[in-house]
Order: sequence, then C-alpha cells, then structure tokens
Amino acid sequence: MKLNDSNPIFSSYQNNTSLYDEIFDQDKNVRPTYKKIIELYSGHSINDFVSLNEKAKASFFNQGITFQVYSEEKAQEKIFPFDLFPRIIEAKEWNTIEKGVIQRSKALNEFLWDIYHEKSIIKDGIIPMDLISSSVNYLRQMIDLDPPGGVYNHISGTDLIKHSDGKYYVLEDNIRCPSGVSYVICNRNALKRALFGVFNHYEIHSVTNYAENLLDIMESVKPKGVDVPNCVVITPGIYNSAYYEHSYLAKTLGIELVEGRDLFVEKDFVYMKTISGPEKVDVIYRRIDDTFLDPLEFREDSAIGIPGLFAAYKRGNVSIVNAPGTGVADDKAIYTYMPEIIKYYLNEKPILNNVQTYHCSRKDDLKYVLENIGKLVVKPVDEAGGYGISIGNRLTKNEIESVKKVILENPRKYIAQPIMSLSVHATYIDESQSFEQRHVDLRTFTLLGAGKAFVLKGGLTRVALKKGNLIVNSSQGGGSKDTWVLKK
Amino acid sequence: MLARVANNLFWMGRYIERAEHTARFMNVNYFSSLDAPNQLSQSRQFVLQSIMSMVGDDIEDKTKIKEEDVFYNIGLNAEKHYSIIQCVKFARENANSSRDMISTEFYESINKFYHYVMNYPKDIFVRSGLHEFTTNVTEHAAILRGKIRGTLLHDEIYALIMLGINIERATQIIRIVKTKFEDAQKATGGYENPIENSYEWTTLLKCCESYDMNRRYYKKPPTQMTVLEFLILNPNCPRSVINSLNQIFYHITILDNLEFRDKTSAAFLIGKMRSEYQFKTVEEIQKSVDKFIKKTLDKLVLISDQLEKEYFYH
Repeated sequence: MKLNDSNPIFSSYQNNTSLYDEIFDQDKNVRPTYKKIIELYSGHSINDFVSLNEKAKASFFNQGITFQVYSEEKAQEKIFPFDLFPRIIEAKEWNTIEKGVIQRSKALNEFLWDIYHEKSIIKDGIIPMDLISSSVNYLRQMIDLDPPGGVYNHISGTDLIKHSDGKYYVLEDNIRCPSGVSYVICNRNALKRALFGVFNHYEIHSVTNYAENLLDIMESVKPKGVDVPNCVVITPGIYNSAYYEHSYLAKTLGIELVEGRDLFVEKDFVYMKTISGPEKVDVIYRRIDDTFLDPLEFREDSAIGIPGLFAAYKRGNVSIVNAPGTGVADDKAIYTYMPEIIKYYLNEKPILNNVQTYHCSRKDDLKYVLENIGKLVVKPVDEAGGYGISIGNRLTKNEIESVKKVILENPRKYIAQPIMSLSVHATYIDESQSFEQRHVDLRTFTLLGAGKAFVLKGGLTRVALKKGNLIVNSSQGGGSKDTWVLKK
Repeated sequence: MLARVANNLFWMGRYIERAEHTARFMNVNYFSSLDAPNQLSQSRQFVLQSIMSMVGDDIEDKTKIKEEDVFYNIGLNAEKHYSIIQCVKFARENANSSRDMISTEFYESINKFYHYVMNYPKDIFVRSGLHEFTTNVTEHAAILRGKIRGTLLHDEIYALIMLGINIERATQIIRIVKTKFEDAQKATGGYENPIENSYEWTTLLKCCESYDMNRRYYKKPPTQMTVLEFLILNPNCPRSVINSLNQIFYHITILDNLEFRDKTSAAFLIGKMRSEYQFKTVEEIQKSVDKFIKKTLDKLVLISDQLEKEYFYH
C-alpha cells in the first residue's frame, strides 16, 4: 500500500522523505505495522475526523483534564491536545526499550547511592568531582543517609527519540518528579471512545496497571517496623499545573492526596490531620521539588512543605518517593557519562544509545561547541520543560553571538548535542483539517522498588504541533498521542 | 479522611445547594410577580427587593434598584459573594481540592456546570436569559445530587457532602420562608383574609418546588398555616426543614454514633434540634413566626460552627 492511493484522508500529506516517518518508508510505502490502521482510517472521511477531534477535545475539557499555562497574561485552563492517530511500537522494538530503560534506572540508582556514600566512581577517576560538587541538585543533607529499601529513583521518566537512522536514542532521564503518566491512560481512554473499531485489529498491552504497580513499589520501600504502610501523594495544591495528574494518581492508587498543611511532624514521625485526629504517614510520593520539601532543612520560604519532614526521613521513619537529591543524576551533564555509569556499576553495555554530548565545562568540548554552534542544540543542564534551549540552525548571527556569550559566562551550565532529527508521525492538524507530519518523542515510565522493576507498556508520545518544531513539551504547545505496544 | 478535605466536601455540598435555591428563588419570584393579583406584588421594585433581601443584600435606597443590576449581581457578578457564579466557582474549587475522593463522573458533571455558568453571556442573561439560565442551574444541581448519590461510596465522604447539602437546604428554605413571610405582610389585598390567604404563599411553595405536592396533600389552596406546616414540619416533604434535620441527623451518626453522649458535640446538638422539631406544631410556630425563624437560623449556624470545630480543624 502506498501513500496517496485510495486514501483520501492523506491526500494532502506532505511526505518529507529526509525525515524518518514512522508510518511511511522512504518509498512512501506504508510500514507493515501501520497497514491495518491506514486501511481502517481510509474508510473515514476527513469530516469524520473533524467531528471526532471536536468531540475528543470537549471530552477532555469537560472531564477537567487540563493544565494551567502561566506565561500569558493570566493563568489559563488548557487541555493537553490529543491526537487521533496512535503511535504503534512493535513488540521486539519495545523489548529493547524496556530492557534499556530498566538498565538505566538501575545504574542511576547505584550511582546515586555511590555519590552519597563512598563516591568510588569519583575516586576511580571516571566522573570528575567538580561535576558533582558544582551541581545545585547535590544535597549535602543526603550524604551517608540510607533511603528505605536502598532506592532513590523509584519513578523515572525516560525521554527517547527515534533518529533518522531509525534507532532510538535517549535524550534525558527525568528522575525528580517526572509527570505525564496520567495522560497515557487518558489518551488510551479517549482513543477507545473515539475509534473503538480499530482496537479489534491489534493486540495491544493495557496501560491501566500503572497504579497497582506504583503502590506495590511504594509499599516495598516502607520504613522498617511498619506492617501495612500508610501511603500518600503530596501536591503543591490545586493551582499547580500538574494538579490533575496528582489527583488522578491519588484516586487510582486509592490513597490520600495531601498538601503540606495537612501534615505535621511530631517526635520525628509524620502525621496527617484527619477528621478523627492525627494519623501516621509512612510513605510519601511527593510531587514537590526537593528544596520545597522542608522549610527547616531547605528553603525557609517554602509554604508548601512540612517542617521537620527531613528529620523524620533521616531517622528512617518515613519514605520519600523519589528520594531527595536525585536531581543530581538527571542533570544533563551527568547524562553525558551514562555509558560509563552503566559500565561501571552493572558491567554491561548500554542497551539504548546516548546522544553524543559536548560538555562546555571541558576545554576541548567548549572549543568545539563555540566553533560549531550552528550545528548543535545547546541546553542548560538543570532546566526542565524545554526552557532555555537554543537550536543552532534556527538562530540568526546575532543570536549565535549572544548564545556564545551566555555559555562563556557559565560553561558548567551548558551542554551541546548534534541536532537530532526526531522522527515524524501523521498527526491531525486543526488549522488545515488534515493529517500532516509532525515530530514526536516518547517518554517511558519506569518504576524501581526494593527488588522490583516495572515499565509501563505504553508511554507518552509527545508531538510538536507547530510545523517543523522540535520541542514537544506541553508548555511549549505540544500535544500527545496514544501509544500502543503490540503484544506480538 | 483529611480534615481539610472534609471541609472542602462539606462546603461543596453547601455551595451546590445554595446556587440552586438562589436560582429558583429568583426565577419563581420574578415570573410569578408578572401576573400577581395585586398592585404591590406586581410592582418591579417589590419583587426586586424581595430577591435582594433573600440573598441578604439589603439596599438602602430602595427606589434606585435596577432590574438589570439585580439580575447581574445575583446571577453572574463574580464580585458578589452571594452570586450564583460565585457559588458554582466555590463548589468546583472545593471539588478540585478533593478530586481524588470523588468519582470521575461526578467531577465531570460539576466541571460542566462550572463551564456552563462561566460561559453564559452576561448581556443575554440580563436581557432575556433569566429563565433559561436559572432553570439550567437548578437542573445541573439536580444532576449533581444524582451523581453524588449514584456514584460515590456511601461512607464518611458521602455523609459530609450530605451534611453540607442538608444544612444549606434547611437554611435556604427558612430564608425563603422569611422573605416571603415579610412579602406577605406587605402585599395585602386580593383575597378576603389578606395575610392568611396571600398570593405570596403560592409563590413561596413554588420557590421550594413544593406547590404541586402541597395541593395534593391538603387539596385546598395554600394558606399561611398549611404552607408553614408543610415546609417546616412535614417529614415527607423533601424540602421541609424537618426532612433536612432527619437527613442531617442520619448522616452525622455515620461520623459520630453518640456513643459518648458528649453534650457539646455536633451530633448531640443536631439530635436535640431534630427531636424538638419533630414534635412541634404549626400553632406554636404561628404564635410568632419571626421569632421562630430567627431561632431556627441561629441553631443551624451553631450546628455548622460546631461541625467545623469538631471535624475540620484538627
């Protein structure tokens, strides 16, 4: 089956063959995995998609599956745009991803234990000391502290892309408070409602088992001496941009969603204020940044934290998921060393590719970056959400100069990578009322507990809705797709 | 359950109920006045004042009340604490804070309600939308009550929402009775015995969605006596004060089964008030309706305060 023959919905599909298209190969043939769905979608008129798209949008809005955007004049409630064309990942391909992300999570966990204890990786000269000591996310309070179950990064969100060579590369490991998992499930529900017919033709893995596995993981790292742990999710509150996800998780986990003001610490134990008095809390899945957790230990001005929480944690009376101080390892500078880290702790070859990364704190690398800035993506090491990124071939001469200046002011803060070409996927575009190529990435969700590991068989395919845009973050106008992992 | 969340659920219930009563009162009062049997109750100023007084905003210069302002203030003015839009906003905000506790279905309904009210155009509302808007508000509130009953676990969470709903309902019913009682005292004429048979009693029943059932029960046109008896003392009338008190008592016992008979507890106060109203007669009320109304409102405030102290601030 070829692009454009007998499928009216793709009649205006501009197939840029210099990009890796997930659906069509270089000769515009439909890739085998997508054959059936293209056949089914071709049975619909574009008007069907217009109306399905409207209905899907209304459904998200009515259910309040929204996030707040602050950059404009006032906070606005927006839906996370959802695309009607699912991304399909073959079983074999997925196996590699799954093994690869578990490998990374485990290696990062070992790494975190090491740099907060013996620091042997530094002593052995594999990672320079100043990379750690200069990181604002390295928490001195965590030194020599043993987190319950020995786990730091219980929840990891790994961002992968498919490059023009058809291979997956890891772009980032997010191990602070990765978000987006609720959308994986919402997207699946929305697509089921809109186009239930297509599900009959594929055998795909369910994504509804995330909550039970997360609760399992949380319970596996309960403090010593607790039989049945009391677990909670903590949120900064209803005005946080990810509040929907926080409430969704609490609801599906069947545990309380608390705010800082609902908790208090007495004699190094944490309690929540319930209608029948204080109730002890054992495991906290926190969706609050490290520095806001405890005003007595970190930022004094934190109004969303719990005074005394860290002291309770230090005593081993409460577990915090993810552990404080994990941010040091999802620093983009540490990312550079991932192959070495995996080799050092696990004695394995990395299963997933790392993108070649130039580190502006190294002299040779800095020189290369400054000379080749037009061919590189420059990223700050400690920002999330796609902020502060500059893409070389999109910059004017003046902008290049100012980026150089910014790098030279604080080289430690920046890394650079070759401009990776994210694969493209057919995406329904509102303005043109047709399917067009758009860049996509994939965020997977990995859980790590005491002796357990789990990867959600699905993940979030994020899509940059603006034409040609490579930044897929929702705060930058990105949407998402339901992501199918095939059973066979 | 968290004390903060309990507070949120309680007030969510109250605000949903408040929005509904305000909408219905405005609707029925305004439309029934259009062809009322006497001059005063037909006058715009009279009905607008009545509406303002029900929401507790007594305007000093009563000659300057403008219809559009009254509609806007009570319907869609987010600056007024008593407006319907504000009630719905608060209800949804409270639902947001306890979102993990309530069902997806219920949340979706309250969210739809919120967007309906937020997006209702102001100019259409004050010109021609009064009926449509207020009817839809009452319908949405009814849907919400259905979702609360039909999709939530009937446990402590449900009990707290029902406490909020029923305390608010009893309060609003008494406030409506108060407003219409005052109206009836002012608007005389049209019938032989002005106060006892005032047209305002019919309006009052309709404001509480109880007109048809009152006719079925008494088989006569409503009088002051039958209306007060029906709306306050008839346990089978779903809007009556005693019905709400029965509900309040039932739901407080889910939180506190009175095992310790603590005389200052909310459950004890509620039980006491309920027993008193259960055996009250309309003749007793009629001796001094004003005083009775004031006492009832005071008691309901006391109960609400006691609930807050006992459950919401640990």
